[in-house]
Amino acid sequence: MSALTPDGSPDPLAGLHDALIAWLPTQRWFPAKGRQVAGVRTASHSVISRPGETPTVEHAVITVSFADGAAEERYQLVLGSQRQPPGDLEHAVIGRRPTDHGDDVVYDGLADGRISRLFLALITENATREPLRFVAEPDTEPVIVGPGRPLQGEQSNSSVIYGERAILKLFRRATTGLNPDLELHRALRREGSAEVAPLLGAVEGSMDGEPMTVAMLQEYAANSADGWSMALASVRDLLAEADLRADEVGGDFAGEAHRIGKTVGAVHRELAAALGTRPLDAEVATEIEAWMLERLDRAASAVEGVAEQRDAIAAVFHGVSDAGPTTIQRIHGDLHLGQELRTPTGWLVIDFEGEPSKSLADRVRPDSPLRDVAAMLRSFDYAAFHQLSEREQATDDPDPQLERRAQEWADRNRSAFCDGYAEVAGTDPRDTPELLRAYELDKAVYEVLYETRNRPGWVSIPLRSMRRLLTPAGRSER
Amino acid sequence: MNEGVSTEAGTVAHEDPGVHVRDHTEDKGAHALEEPSAAAFRHARTLPVDEDWYKRAVFYEVLVRAFADSNRDGFGDLRGLIDKLDYLAWLGVDCLWLPPFYDSPLRDGGYDIRDFRKVLGEFGTVEDFVELLDQAHARGIRVITDLVMNHTSDQHHWFQESRRDPEGPYGDFYVWSDDDTRWSEARIIFVDTEASNWTYDSRRGQFYWHRFFSHQPDLNFDNPAVCEAMLDTLRFWLDLGIDGFRLDAVPYLFERDGTNGENLPETHAFLKRVRKVVDDEYPGRVLLAEANQWPSDVVEYFGDAEIGGDECHMAFHFPLMPRIFMAVRRESRFPISEILAQTPAIPSNAQWGIFLRNHDELTLEMVTDDERDYMYAEYAKDPRMKANIGIRRRLAPLLDNDRNQLELFTALLLSLPGSPVLYYGDEIGMGDNIWLGDRDGVRSPMQWTPDRNAGFSRCDPGRLNLPVIMDPVYGYQAVNVEAQSNSTASLLHWNRRMIDIRKQHPAFALGSFHELGGTNPSVLAYLREYTDAEGTRDVVLCVNNMSRFPQPVELDLIAWKGMVPTELTGGVPFPPIGELSYLLTLPGHGFYWFAIHPAEER
Repeated sequence: MSALTPDGSPDPLAGLHDALIAWLPTQRWFPAKGRQVAGVRTASHSVISRPGETPTVEHAVITVSFADGAAEERYQLVLGSQRQPPGDLEHAVIGRRPTDHGDDVVYDGLADGRISRLFLALITENATREPLRFVAEPDTEPVIVGPGRPLQGEQSNSSVIYGERAILKLFRRATTGLNPDLELHRALRREGSAEVAPLLGAVEGSMDGEPMTVAMLQEYAANSADGWSMALASVRDLLAEADLRADEVGGDFAGEAHRIGKTVGAVHRELAAALGTRPLDAEVATEIEAWMLERLDRAASAVEGVAEQRDAIAAVFHGVSDAGPTTIQRIHGDLHLGQELRTPTGWLVIDFEGEPSKSLADRVRPDSPLRDVAAMLRSFDYAAFHQLSEREQATDDPDPQLERRAQEWADRNRSAFCDGYAEVAGTDPRDTPELLRAYELDKAVYEVLYETRNRPGWVSIPLRSMRRLLTPAGRSER
Repeated sequence: MNEGVSTEAGTVAHEDPGVHVRDHTEDKGAHALEEPSAAAFRHARTLPVDEDWYKRAVFYEVLVRAFADSNRDGFGDLRGLIDKLDYLAWLGVDCLWLPPFYDSPLRDGGYDIRDFRKVLGEFGTVEDFVELLDQAHARGIRVITDLVMNHTSDQHHWFQESRRDPEGPYGDFYVWSDDDTRWSEARIIFVDTEASNWTYDSRRGQFYWHRFFSHQPDLNFDNPAVCEAMLDTLRFWLDLGIDGFRLDAVPYLFERDGTNGENLPETHAFLKRVRKVVDDEYPGRVLLAEANQWPSDVVEYFGDAEIGGDECHMAFHFPLMPRIFMAVRRESRFPISEILAQTPAIPSNAQWGIFLRNHDELTLEMVTDDERDYMYAEYAKDPRMKANIGIRRRLAPLLDNDRNQLELFTALLLSLPGSPVLYYGDEIGMGDNIWLGDRDGVRSPMQWTPDRNAGFSRCDPGRLNLPVIMDPVYGYQAVNVEAQSNSTASLLHWNRRMIDIRKQHPAFALGSFHELGGTNPSVLAYLREYTDAEGTRDVVLCVNNMSRFPQPVELDLIAWKGMVPTELTGGVPFPPIGELSYLLTLPGHGFYWFAIHPAEER
């Protein structure tokens, strides 16, 4: 553990290292739960508050190393500190830090309404607090400055909600470069997109001499629910009926699936208009195929079921090269039902960060929009079989009738999604079945590996799909 | 109007009470009708003027014909209804809405009026109606009725005169034309029975315009004499003491080239005239618009929002009702959230009327084609249940007689923004008879007792206007007021209790509406909040589970941190609202109503 920053000055968080080591694994956004943190050091640090202001507000990026020797990771922190913070911040306390006048209590800053208020005020004023720049997007109506409150239940980032008007998202994982979430929201705002929550502002900084995205401010869809929970409600309704078909039950989801298809189609059209397209030529096809094969071999080496089918799968991936004339463009990159929000007026797509496990370079690489479409089709499969797979884990007694009906739900909604997509995007994904199949299989292979490692009870869902995609019947959607 | 007419009951006007003719008709001479004046009748006692009673009232739609028969002729009548006022007062009803009771050939349930100033013989007389008003007012109950302004029966004297003598005083009372091609943009409303909005009259040798049935010719509101005649019709009943009108089919009063003939500026101008008559001459009486339109169009019928509204006081919110059904079947709050988000703000003196069922079919005009197919599939498995563009069922059979759903739907009706309108019989969960023609299936006799004719009439059962419901589930021996009055666990007692709770909290009637959202799409949660003139704040939280399965919900109540939600049916305090989101669990189709109080008030 070093008490010096890379440039040799004393680490401003030195007194807090032990506290952070204990605190980090208790945070929802910290992905390395269950792994022992070996040490932390400060990669960058700045004080946002003015001298004499209470509380003191700091921004920091810390580098975390692990006891198992895995690669280091960097995270962003916003810290508040005060001699005696208000009692309702007790749950957010990280530790104590000695100062010249005694100990300060240091806590997770976003929990403090005074600090979230400061962030909003600085964005509204387009203020700079080196090296952080707070920017309001041009021509946005300013949000009335007030304290925010932390959003609960979030996974990989931390957000604060201002009234029901705006949401500030602090990206916890620190990477250099412009975050695609901010980049694409900016581009979509220029296009006047009605399919995303409009961007209101951002906090940008720098690290290692490169720009980095600290946080972004968007309009908040207050009355919304995500597509995943709505789809599960629909499947639950279907499976509770004795023998009604998917189109006969009250909870039919096809109307919503159709609307989601239209929404995704519109986002693709807008991204193409904002950031351009290029042909999926032989060179690009070879590149895409190569990523798919790389992922396949990683999965094959870990999962026997994949290894057995390795060559058949690779043959399907060759469909990318045979796709015929089509284009690539910027896409969402990590689409699933949980990234769609139903609001009273329609659907929104959220979270354009891309697949979290990929490098930034990979996340911003143009790809076929069918990657997103395939990901949605996979998500409908997951929703259809989610409840059944829990049932099978409990009873170990598959029910072929229920499986047929779940499959019917998946087919019906996948097809409604494609219908809606085609209406808006102008191209029907089912017109290039081999390309779509390649992307879907690529995703299924990734899921098999992921589930084998993380949730073995669920592996039957992607395995079932993988098998289906390898049979001739799996070639085309109906 | 009516100067010299005393409002004392029974006094006679100074001028000749029988004759009521306007100037412009006089110069045409012959065949002007003599119409009765209100001065010829006793007037009912009136209730104190209360400017916003309609915002707080629980309405009850009662079909006179189906409610209670006092003279054993098989038809319900006004005297029979008077006998049941104590029951309605016990239930907590504030205002009765009577569909038309005017003299009529009854080819459209009385909406085809033959004489605006006469009561349909089988219902009784104008004197009986005055007695009803008087007795209702004695119990604090108000009475409103339908007034059809757009058209009359083809048997109305005005129409007969108009056919006979195009040059006579009524020659221009209806909309006549030599050809039937004009205004083709106007849709045909009763698509099941009508092929055109024009019908040829061989007597006059011209076509007449009708937006509804061909036996209901549209009045010509471009003729000032028609406007005057209609205003005098209103005054007649207002003088007798009626508390207001539901104005039937208001969007269609005028016709203009190149339009669909709905919601025209001329129509609004006439409604402002009607409102001025009410405000100037009869303060405290209300106008309710029946405009089966999207809320964004219906708000026009409240008039100028700057001055609090200067057309109708109330209007029905039509699209909300089918969306409630859809939301529960889909187990998703969004059909309701969506329609409420699309509902514009209304003027300060205006109020929505909301309902689950009424004497018409469940109207599906205000849903999309997809949604209509869906509603048919879900709620009308038997094609006989469909009628026009709607579904002819009562609430209980629509919900498979499921008590939990009946309670959830009623809780929504009593807590969503607007004044609730109950439909007679639904408070005991009456059934319907889909084998009766047109919309009669939901108009069968009220079930009072397990005795002969369900206690509705002491006539020979064969003489009943419509048969009583006799099936084993909904029949009068199983479902009736007497039995349910004797059991406090009954649906009737439950409804009464909920109405009572609603009245204890002005927020339900007058409060703002704020949907809380929440991550569970099956749960609809909202706050109603009202602060009265003295600064007393009433906050009610309503949480509804649209799903048949138990559901958790986490609500963002941080604005009420430290306060305590108290459940309203039992008064049980729930845990105080803390820093985190507020967790509730609801049983399938369950709901909660809470008052939110500061902790120390507990």
